[in-house]
Amino acid sequence: MRAKDIALDGLFRQNPTLKLVLGTCPTLALTTLAMNGIGMGLAVTFVLTCSNVIISLLRNVIPQKVRIPAYILIIATFVTIIRMLLNKFLPDISASLGTYLPLIVVNCIILGRAEAFASKNPVGAACLDGIFMGLGFMAALTLMGAFREILGSGSVFGVKLWDFSIGFFTQPAGALFTYAMFIAVYSMIYSAVVARKKKSADTSEDRSEKGVTADV
Amino acid sequence: MERLIISNTPHVRGNASTRRIMIDVLIALSPAAVAGVVFFGWRAALVMAIALLSSVGTEVLYRLFVKKEDIKRITATYDFTSTVTGLLLGLNLGSQSPWYAPLLGGIFAVGVVKMLFGGTGKNFVNPAIAGRVFLMMSFGTAVSGGWLAPSIGAIAPSESAVPSLVDLLIGTGIAGSIGETSKLCLLAGGAYLVIRGVIDWKYPTIYILVAGLTLSLYKLDFSIFLPSILSGGLMLGAIFMATDYVTTPNTMLGNIVYFAVLGVLTGLFRGITGGESVSYCILLMNITVPLIDRFIAPKPFGYVKPEKKAKAAKEGNNG
Repeated sequence: MRAKDIALDGLFRQNPTLKLVLGTCPTLALTTLAMNGIGMGLAVTFVLTCSNVIISLLRNVIPQKVRIPAYILIIATFVTIIRMLLNKFLPDISASLGTYLPLIVVNCIILGRAEAFASKNPVGAACLDGIFMGLGFMAALTLMGAFREILGSGSVFGVKLWDFSIGFFTQPAGALFTYAMFIAVYSMIYSAVVARKKKSADTSEDRSEKGVTADV
Repeated sequence: MERLIISNTPHVRGNASTRRIMIDVLIALSPAAVAGVVFFGWRAALVMAIALLSSVGTEVLYRLFVKKEDIKRITATYDFTSTVTGLLLGLNLGSQSPWYAPLLGGIFAVGVVKMLFGGTGKNFVNPAIAGRVFLMMSFGTAVSGGWLAPSIGAIAPSESAVPSLVDLLIGTGIAGSIGETSKLCLLAGGAYLVIRGVIDWKYPTIYILVAGLTLSLYKLDFSIFLPSILSGGLMLGAIFMATDYVTTPNTMLGNIVYFAVLGVLTGLFRGITGGESVSYCILLMNITVPLIDRFIAPKPFGYVKPEKKAKAAKEGNNG
């Protein structure tokens, strides 16, 4: 049940891009192509999972006063590892992510999860949180990237769909516009889900009061 | 819905309504629209018609499906702002625009810039300008630049690099967007708006003169003063788009600052880039309007400055 909660938080309820609005810099800059979302998302997932595990393991060792430098050191280690790996094995993705790859060090999602979750929770939960927060980030970036790529370049994942394209969506103004639209649609879905859950919770309470269901 | 109007006393009531003002603007724009069709042919009419239909259609559909209003209410309260936006957008595009450009521009201008921000009076920038800039960013020379030569009095650009002032004024042989070439028609429309009390003659005049002067000073050449104010989209922008009520400051001083800075920016951008920049300048200044209003607030009726009061009291004591 706890694992399911962590997964749902990362993917939907506390989605880092759409709900927490963290890591907006790579979100705005890299979502011109859907493929960038996958690349950046996987890199962030890797760093986030590894740093969450290490920080969770060291949570009783790191002194409170120097925790931020300690976190940065741990995060930077994994960023360096993923950078070297991508440079060696996937140079194309590494080139298209450009400067945003080393900047994962200061990505607020990773520092935010370290501070808010990994430093207070056991290793297993921290690891799951890292994986699902990263996947939530990847999903949001890939969807936004696909939207902007389809409208702005007439293709998706590099596959040409048609010749028609609206250049606005490949430009920075289009990035902010797309982000705003995504947050708006997300909030709409979110509040609809919350309203429905509340309704079903109310009805199940009614039922348990009447003694229809007893397992609440 | 009753509108709560927040302004300082005294409240002067007039018979001006948004609908009446917008119909006046439409009348004022019609000479330029007719001139556009005369100069650029039936394609110009088509572009304007698509822009009009898409703008009005976007408002109606938005109100039907998002605001859940019924069609009777919409026709009763429709205030023609979207019609003006659509016509202005059409006049801002080249007659060579592909059919989808005015369609998408109208949807963006009315749907995103106006309706999403709350409808008439809530748009944060001028919708027609935003629509034009959206299309310029998206399709580039397909909608602006690479202008078609007009069918009347066409001259090849190589024959005479600088057109005569009379040609610039009437628009004969001048390439440009559908509505911007005939300054005579724009000035006639502007004069009608001034007579009807819709706009104040001071503000477009300030904008146009300051823009011309800035460019002349930048180039250190006063012979380009008249050609520069008679060319490009300056007249159209100054008379019909920079004067949009929603996106101009509240006070006279604020408006003077707004239009003067607009003129300086337009002159400088024109001088530095060598291209047309009126729409970008208006867009930029639209966003500064809340800032101007913050620092130049309207004075309450009968208000005396506190320092003056203190000084007067002091003088009274001394005497």
